[in-house]
Amino acid sequence: MNMLEHAKKMVKTLIEEGQSDGVLGLIQLKSGVMPHLFQEAGEVNNLTLSPKWLIAKEAVSLLSRLPETYRLSVVCRGCDERALRELIKRNQVAKARLHIVGLACDADQAKACLCDTPVPSCVDIGTPVKGVDPFCDPDALPFISGEMQVRQNLWQKEFEKCIKCYGCRNACPMCHCSPCKLADELWVGKGQIPADTISFHLIRAFHLADTCVGCGACQDACPVGIPLMLLQLPMRKVLDKEYKYRAGMDIVQQSPLLSNLTKAPSAGLNLPAWTDSLGTGHEN
Amino acid sequence: MKIDYVKTVCPYCGCGCGLILEVVDGVIVKTRPDKDHPVSRGSLCIKGWNAHEFVHHPDRLTVPLLKKQGKFYEISWDEAIDVATTRLRQAADTYGPDAVAGLSSARCSNEENYLFQKLIRAGFHTNNVDHCARLCHGPTAAAMARALGSGAMTNSIDDFTGADLVIMFGSNAAETHPIIMGRIYEACAKGATLIVVDPRTTEPAKNADIHLPLNFGSDIPLISGMIGHILDKGLADQSFIDEQTQDFEALKDSLSEWPMERAAKICGIAPDMIEKVAQLYAKAKNACVVFCMGITQHSCGTANVHAICNLAMLCNQVGRPFAGINPLRGQNNVQGACDMGALPNLLPGYQDVTNSDVRAKFESVWKTVLPQTPGLTVTEVTAAAGEKVHALYIMAENPMMSDPDINHVRERLGKLDFFMVQDIFMTETAKLADLVLPGACFAEKTGTFTNTERRVQLLRRASLPPGDALDDFTILCRLAKSLGLDFNYKDPAAVMDELASLTPIYGGINFERLESGGLLWPCPNPDHPGTRYLHKGSFSRGKGLFVVPEYTPPQEMPDQAYPLTLVTGRMFSHYHTGTMTRRSATLNHEADKPFAQIHPKDAKVHGISQGDPVRVSTRRGSIVLAARLTSDVRPGSLFIPFHFSEAPANALTHEALDPVSKIPEFKACAAKLEREKSK
Repeated sequence: MNMLEHAKKMVKTLIEEGQSDGVLGLIQLKSGVMPHLFQEAGEVNNLTLSPKWLIAKEAVSLLSRLPETYRLSVVCRGCDERALRELIKRNQVAKARLHIVGLACDADQAKACLCDTPVPSCVDIGTPVKGVDPFCDPDALPFISGEMQVRQNLWQKEFEKCIKCYGCRNACPMCHCSPCKLADELWVGKGQIPADTISFHLIRAFHLADTCVGCGACQDACPVGIPLMLLQLPMRKVLDKEYKYRAGMDIVQQSPLLSNLTKAPSAGLNLPAWTDSLGTGHEN
Repeated sequence: MKIDYVKTVCPYCGCGCGLILEVVDGVIVKTRPDKDHPVSRGSLCIKGWNAHEFVHHPDRLTVPLLKKQGKFYEISWDEAIDVATTRLRQAADTYGPDAVAGLSSARCSNEENYLFQKLIRAGFHTNNVDHCARLCHGPTAAAMARALGSGAMTNSIDDFTGADLVIMFGSNAAETHPIIMGRIYEACAKGATLIVVDPRTTEPAKNADIHLPLNFGSDIPLISGMIGHILDKGLADQSFIDEQTQDFEALKDSLSEWPMERAAKICGIAPDMIEKVAQLYAKAKNACVVFCMGITQHSCGTANVHAICNLAMLCNQVGRPFAGINPLRGQNNVQGACDMGALPNLLPGYQDVTNSDVRAKFESVWKTVLPQTPGLTVTEVTAAAGEKVHALYIMAENPMMSDPDINHVRERLGKLDFFMVQDIFMTETAKLADLVLPGACFAEKTGTFTNTERRVQLLRRASLPPGDALDDFTILCRLAKSLGLDFNYKDPAAVMDELASLTPIYGGINFERLESGGLLWPCPNPDHPGTRYLHKGSFSRGKGLFVVPEYTPPQEMPDQAYPLTLVTGRMFSHYHTGTMTRRSATLNHEADKPFAQIHPKDAKVHGISQGDPVRVSTRRGSIVLAARLTSDVRPGSLFIPFHFSEAPANALTHEALDPVSKIPEFKACAAKLEREKSK
């Protein structure tokens, strides 16, 4: 049985046997491919697995709208699963409502994403392939290593193209702050492009320092081709090397940023009152 | 709970990006990009990401409204259709057919535009039908149709990524066509050269290899300088010129007027820079020209477009996959509204109303006699209000924000015997109407939009119009039937079938074929795959025509009383008259106040600091808005976006018209600046 037929059978079983109220996956219609909540076994014939389309964000959106008793299955790639796990850890998603159907990426997909872990924890569909080391990719290297000034110029040139669509934030499964600092005039100027590079892109990068699961949704959504995924890589590497921490790898291990701070608050943790800017509905 | 995802097309600019609307129990809660879409490929700009936000806005019109003694009263649809029919008929009966005029809409679907122009033409026997393409690419349609045989983008959007050189004239695509800008950056990443010609230092200019900050309205001197140099250096493609074009000698002779020194002096660009750019363009393997309002919105707009066509033909940079002449169309369906014959001189498919064979073809299907003289343009309709034109029907246009000199427009619209507006919000224009009909927005209808690359795409209904509002297809059919016309269409797909049978460039298009990704016209028959680029092998008109462009400087130059040059345009988070984007929370949060870009030097002269209230005045009017100091504008000039009704930029602009296309000169008029004293 080929991969797709196998996937259809699995999804059908989940619905028919009532293990899930619905399965989030991709559907192939005459109008093309898009995400779909499969709730009837009859629809499953139109299930598809390509193109690579990250749906962790859809899953979060669906769970927030569906009744609390609704049990959702999600056809997840490795990065989708990591995103959902990290959200479970951060109390954004209820673990009991979620069932993961694991889909392994193929070698080309892993390479296109420079993904070091292109497999979910349990592979239900597809054949696992080895990950890619982004620090060995010749196109990526100038952005993530080498002389600082050269790197800074390279990034400045990329950021200058930004049209402030907020697509990187909107597409990111981990971005869930409300209100968002990027829409706060204290930090980022409004109504002009390019976005203030330091504040816009670096606030976003640092907010995601210990949550980024390397899914690349930000970069995929960028209309002007800024290699946003590479912006997170050095921080993800440090966390991995120094603290053995990789976001989304399980639902237990706390981020070192959180755990260390809980143990002994470092100087400067208490932000001064002026950072609570007016007009954006901050909660005290 | 019912949760649906609906694929459709963005309602804002001409890029035609793919959206997926998330619909929960009939309410659209979210917009996300369509990864499977051929144009946008999973990206969107800020407007696209928030395209649903205005849809369920409480300001939506939900009931037909009739004005009595200056106040609007709710009426039934039956009464509304009756009033419309009676009053429009009355004007035609009293003053003759040309007393009625209609303005169709670049925001509405192809099917609605087709029905609208058919209703005006067949219902009242007048060609008084036009739409706001007049205010954006009227000159493009006029010049490119004359020179090449078609007024549309010659390439497709994907073609930009394969170009070796892209030269942008008067286009700030980073803000106005962001997804296309992305494709141009993609070409640059592969090594293409980007040249931007614009008096303002726009985002594309900042990211370009070469920026030519020419003087306002001096495109013809610049291009003439380039052409002269290309000929001097023997870089023109003489065999292409000989085989594929005509009237080259006339152009060559005209160049005696443009020695390099004169060209350089008028456009303000150094001769060596003009020469460098000319050589780069002529020598490029494949070069794409992109142009927009900076070229067209001038009193010599049509001549400007001719200059661009001349340049491309001279160097044989047209008619290939990655080489061509590409006007970026403004609205989601401005290309389609033109294709559908919402133009006073052309029937659907650019077929001339003065041609009796063409008329006979339409007459046999429409079962009526068609008028043979071209009707009035947008700007002429308002000018003739109360004189030649006594009843006006506007579908989804907002001239009280978009037309030049709106104080004058208001005065003229007030002279009409009967004025009806069909729209989704109570626009500045609708407020002046006698009858207001509530229509439907993009997410509430099926139909097709044609984007800037000629791609005809299917719209899908995601929710129902609010209250008693109806989709515009239904309104048009009801009104037409009441006028005694045979508008018995089952659905918009049936309208497409009729228009395809009459419009050769749409001949092979039907809804079934559009299900996935759409088709690029010309698509003459059901087996035709659509056309990625135009003028392959030869020009649509036969031989490409060189036309000598006559240079005229902007009609109102700065003087002592009004020492600055005012330019109007768009900014990234708002769209045109702001009816939709100003009601989108996210978009309005990004920019919620009108502003003027002022150079720090000019600000200093007037004692103006960042954010100060300033008064900008011209001979037409005066508005107060916030100062935004930036050296992106040149000293001696101002830039004001026209989205803000509280300080409408078009209270300032003037009605200097291009003699051929009748486009107003939005891109230059004389203004003065003062610091507004706080009260």
